[in-house]
Parts: sequence; structure tokens; C-alpha cells
Amino acid sequence: MKGIVALARTHLLTSLRERVTLFWFIVFPVFLLVILTLIFGNIGRQGGMNFQVGLINLEDRAGGGPDLAGIVVEAFTAIGEPRDGKEPLFTLHRPGPGEDKQGFLTRAEEELRRGKLTAVVIIPRGFNRAILSGERAEITLYVDPTRDGSQLAAAIIREVISGIDREILVRTGRFDQERAVPVRSEPLEGGPVSFSYASFLLPGVILMAFFTAGLFGVPGAILYARDRFQLRRYWVTPLTPARYFIGFTLGQGGLCLLQFVVLFLIGEYGLGAGVDFSRPAAAAFLLLGFLTFLSFGFLIASIARTANGGMAIANILNIPLMFLGGLFFPLGELPGFLQAVVLVNPVTYIAAGLRVGLGLTKGTISPIASVLVPLGWIALSILVAARRLSWEAA
Amino acid sequence: MTAGNGILLQVSGLTKRYGEVRAVDGISFSVPRGTVFTILGPNGAGKTTTLEILEGLRAPDSGEIELFGRRIARVDRREKARMGVLLQEGNFEPYLRVKEVIGLFGSFFPRARPVNEILELVALTEKRNAFVKELSGGQRQRLALGTALVNDPDLLFLDEPTTGLDPQARRNIWSIVADLKDQGKTIVLTTHYMEEAETLSDQVCIMDHGRIIAAGSPRVLTARLGEETIIEFTAPGMIGVPVVPSGGKVRRDGDAVLVEVTDLVPALRDLLAWAHENGVPLDNMIIRQPNLEDVFLSLTGRRLRE
Repeated sequence: MKGIVALARTHLLTSLRERVTLFWFIVFPVFLLVILTLIFGNIGRQGGMNFQVGLINLEDRAGGGPDLAGIVVEAFTAIGEPRDGKEPLFTLHRPGPGEDKQGFLTRAEEELRRGKLTAVVIIPRGFNRAILSGERAEITLYVDPTRDGSQLAAAIIREVISGIDREILVRTGRFDQERAVPVRSEPLEGGPVSFSYASFLLPGVILMAFFTAGLFGVPGAILYARDRFQLRRYWVTPLTPARYFIGFTLGQGGLCLLQFVVLFLIGEYGLGAGVDFSRPAAAAFLLLGFLTFLSFGFLIASIARTANGGMAIANILNIPLMFLGGLFFPLGELPGFLQAVVLVNPVTYIAAGLRVGLGLTKGTISPIASVLVPLGWIALSILVAARRLSWEAA
Repeated sequence: MTAGNGILLQVSGLTKRYGEVRAVDGISFSVPRGTVFTILGPNGAGKTTTLEILEGLRAPDSGEIELFGRRIARVDRREKARMGVLLQEGNFEPYLRVKEVIGLFGSFFPRARPVNEILELVALTEKRNAFVKELSGGQRQRLALGTALVNDPDLLFLDEPTTGLDPQARRNIWSIVADLKDQGKTIVLTTHYMEEAETLSDQVCIMDHGRIIAAGSPRVLTARLGEETIIEFTAPGMIGVPVVPSGGKVRRDGDAVLVEVTDLVPALRDLLAWAHENGVPLDNMIIRQPNLEDVFLSLTGRRLRE
């Protein structure tokens, strides 16, 4: 037993003493948690989310009749007013009195490119006539697809316009209110109304830390020790590979526990994530995540011939598994082949299961799948590792 | 076959094949308690494979091993608990401290000597808090020796313990091994340094191509060459061989010329006369007794480090 404990301590100590592993396993997750929260931290906070939106009404009132474009402007203006002393959802930027609308449009487009505006809404000339004559009326929305905030604003604006559209149809007598299908307002990922990005992100970053430690740390430590004949020195003592495995796993568990404690303290007390990790389901999914990523590490160690080969495999798997697992952002509409990665990716299930376990989201994946898919990967990884992992250098 | 009293390790007909190659080809030997037994041979002779079998890293294809009074098919945990092993190759975790390495290896055994005691034994007390990556080659080898001694072993395997070390570091290791011998430890050593074998060994077996080609004490083995004295000098580009009318066997070994003589004074006189007549400078000339290198050379026609 003392050998197992000493091995666990050794693995933990050396992981923390080596600058590269210390950075990737502890410093980087902390950095990511802080930086992402600072950038996207306002998303979803009640009264805290605010988008800078340009609004230009090019409609000409000369033709008379109902001012439907004006209804659109009113709706956006109403959203742009502070409520209960809280910051409004949109801060509207409109042409000043007498300002040339085309000139304003050009300036707004430039500010959108520079990130000063999140979106620009344009009501075209002939909007009123088009609606009244039953023609296709279109409101143009300019967004910057490279900015996440811009895309989020676009989604909200589309929702707003959809609501305005129905209102206009009712007012013009073209829409039967009784038959109207009310749009149910769903917060992101269908969770509680008080969605906070920090609370969404913290469990994701904790899992990412476990994931990185498992995917890179496990094969790295084992294969380098094997290739440099460190393990050989162990095998001439009474230590057996089984005891080494247990000691290593305990050490890896200690590393992940440390990652959790550091990230939890910073997330909870530094960033106000407000996540209740004491829930049994959350603890269970954290443990499931640790075991899944640990077994993934052993799987890589078993199929790589050398330590460098192991790192190459880990690098190839890292990006798709991490970014297509919903750790940092909700998984939206993805092309088919990416959906396939999402579906087989154990990270997807563990991340979703953990957030449901924490009460952050309602979840779209069945609890059974959230448990069974990672367990399947663990079983497969252990099976392959047990058959293929060589404790002696090739 | 059962080893008699005083025999700690006995091996009979040990064989290990890798495909068509017989790395170890039916060797037999016995190691008395409290002695240094050296396996000498060139690279690829089968020394390390033999040791790896005895250390429990490999299973033999056939043969018998009797260790600590028990006949066993292969070395296992029970035997390893009483053995210490210094491998030819192997590193330690670079970010562990010296004292932590000793402590870690001590934790693998049922009983271990105190860390400070081991550090003193291998002269690393001053380096106890240093990281492995900060140690020199000789210090790392002493640390490796410390891990082999941590369980106060009855039997110590040292596989080429001084290969790659500078002369000073080599002599430090020899000094430690000599102390262990004085303490009554049984040591099995492999080396391709004849000086190391001659300095440390009670018994030597010479291996070549997986077989033992000679065995005995260094004195007995060198006595095989008779009462000869060897005159050795270098003569790059020399054509022909020295004429020694008083008798003597002349051999070329690269630039070196070895003249084995039984009666030194007349042979030396003849050789000097020949050198004077032919203008041969007799560079680096030494007169010495035969050593294990000469034994190997006489048995195989090759040098140990070829």
C-alpha cells in the first residue's frame, strides 16, 4: 500500500513541478475561465446583457397609410429603454435629427466591423407598402459572424422582429389572433431564466481541465517513463504493473481534485459563478468525467508506439473532442459530419450530464445516455489498453 | 540438481531465443554467497539477457534457476524483495529530488533502509534535495546504485555499472562495490571493462555469442596463457613483424603490436635490435602481464570492445 501511495504522490508532485504540465493542467484552465467570463460574462444576466444596435428606418412616409415601419422602430425603442433601473437589452444608435441616413448607414457598418456595434437593423424603403400589398417585406440585419456576441444579438433581434411581424399582421387584419402561435421565450439551453455564463462555463472548464490532464497527462507520463526506461527500474522491484496502475490513477485523481479545488474557488469566489457542486449527481458526473478521460489516456498510451506518437494522437483528438463537446459554448446547429462527432463524443454527454446535475440546464440528452455513452468509452478503452498497453519500450 | 551450502544462485542450461538468434545458449554457472561474480563479454554476448532473466524482466525459454535455496521457473516478487538491481539503462523522473527517489523505491519493498543511510552509502548526502535533472552522470549512477541498495539486498545485480562514466566516477563506483563486497554482499556484475572485472571479481565467466567460453578466477584465467609476459607497442603503418630469435609469439591488433614472450630479457634485446635496424620507434611501449582482454583475444581472436 505504501508503494501505491508513494507512486500517487510522485505522479502528482512531478506533474506540478514540471512547468509545461503545471501550465496546461492548472494555469491555462484558470486563465481560460477568467478570460472567457470577462469577455462573455454579461451574456444572460438579467439586466446585465446589453447590445449596441444600430437602427435605420429608410421608409418614406410620403405615401401615407399606417406607419408599420414606425411600429418596428417603437418596438426596438421600447426594448432600448431601461427597466427597473437595469441596463436595457439594446442600446439603440439612430441617425440624429437631420443626419443623412445613408451616411449614418455607412458609419454604422464601419462601427460594426470595428466591433463598436453588435448589429445593425435596416428597415428598407417601401416597407409599409410591401406589407400592405402582401408582398415580401424584408428587414435587413447586419451582423459580424466572427463575433459570438453579434450572433447572439442577431438571434434575439430575429425573435423580436418575429414578434413585431405578428403584431403588424394582427393590426392590419391579416392574422387571426386566436390562431396565433405564441413564441415561447426560451433562455439559452432551456435552463432557468437567470442564466449566467460564469455558471455555465465553470463546469465546462473543470471538465476541460480533467480532459487535458487525461488526454495528455496520462499517455505523456506513462509513455515517457516507459521510453526512458523509468518503468524498467520499477519492474526489477516487487512493484507490479497492477499496483503501478492503481498508484498512477490515484495520483491522477489527486491532480484532478486539485484542478477542481483551484477552479471552483476562483469561479465561485472570484467570478461569482454560484454553482452548487455539492449535489450528488454533479459529483457523480465529475467522477465519471475523470474516469472517462483517464481511460482515454490509457487508450492513447496503448495504441501509441512512442511518447511523441502518443502526444500526436492526443493533439489530433483534442480539438474536436473538446470543442464539439459543449464545454465552453452551447452546441447549436452544426453540419452533419460535426453532429456525428458530437454524438459519439463522450465529452458531450458528460458536460450535459454535469450541467443537468448542477441544475444549470434542463438538458436535451437523456440521463441514461449521459451515463451509458461515457461508460461505454471507459469499457472500450480499458479493454483495448488491457490487451495492447506495453510496459516495456519497443 | 540442488545448490550446495554457500551457493546463493545457481543456473543450469539457461536458454533464451529471439527468433532464430540464441541470445543465451544453455549456460550454467553458480555464484557463492559473499562473492563478486562477473560476466565478461563484448556487446551482444548475451550478458544483459542473462541478467534480465535473473532480474525477473524476462522469462527463460528453458533451463533451471535456483535462487536463495529455491528452484524457480522465473524470478518473481518474492525473490525481487531480496534482490537489488542496477540496470544498464534507465532514468529517473527528472523532477524528483534525490531523497524522494530513494524514498519512492524504498516504498516498493517490505523492508527498506532509512533514506539518509542510503544517501551516505552512495555519497549523495549533500545532494539529497537536488532534483535528478541537476545531477551529473556519475551522481545519477550512484543514485541508481542507491535504489538498488535500498532494501539491503542479499543479492545485487550490477549491469555494466560504469559504462559511459568518466574515470573518476568509475573509480567512485568501484569503491562502493568494493565496500559492499567487504560487507559480505553477493554481487553479479556484467562489464566489458577488463580492468573492472579484474579489480572487483572473485569469479569471472567470459561469454561470447550466448555461451560461456571460459570461467574461473581472474588469476586462473590469465594463467591459461602460461608464464608469458607481453611487450606491447604501437607502430602505425609498420610493414612486417618483429623478429625475436629468442622466441615469442607476435600478434597485430590494429596499430598495436603484442609480443608474447616467456624469457623477457633476451626477447627485449632482440626486439630493440630489430627496431634499431628497421627504424621502428616502438611508441607507447609497455611490458605487462596478460589480462582478461588477452584471454578473450586468445580465445576468440577478437577484442572485447570490437
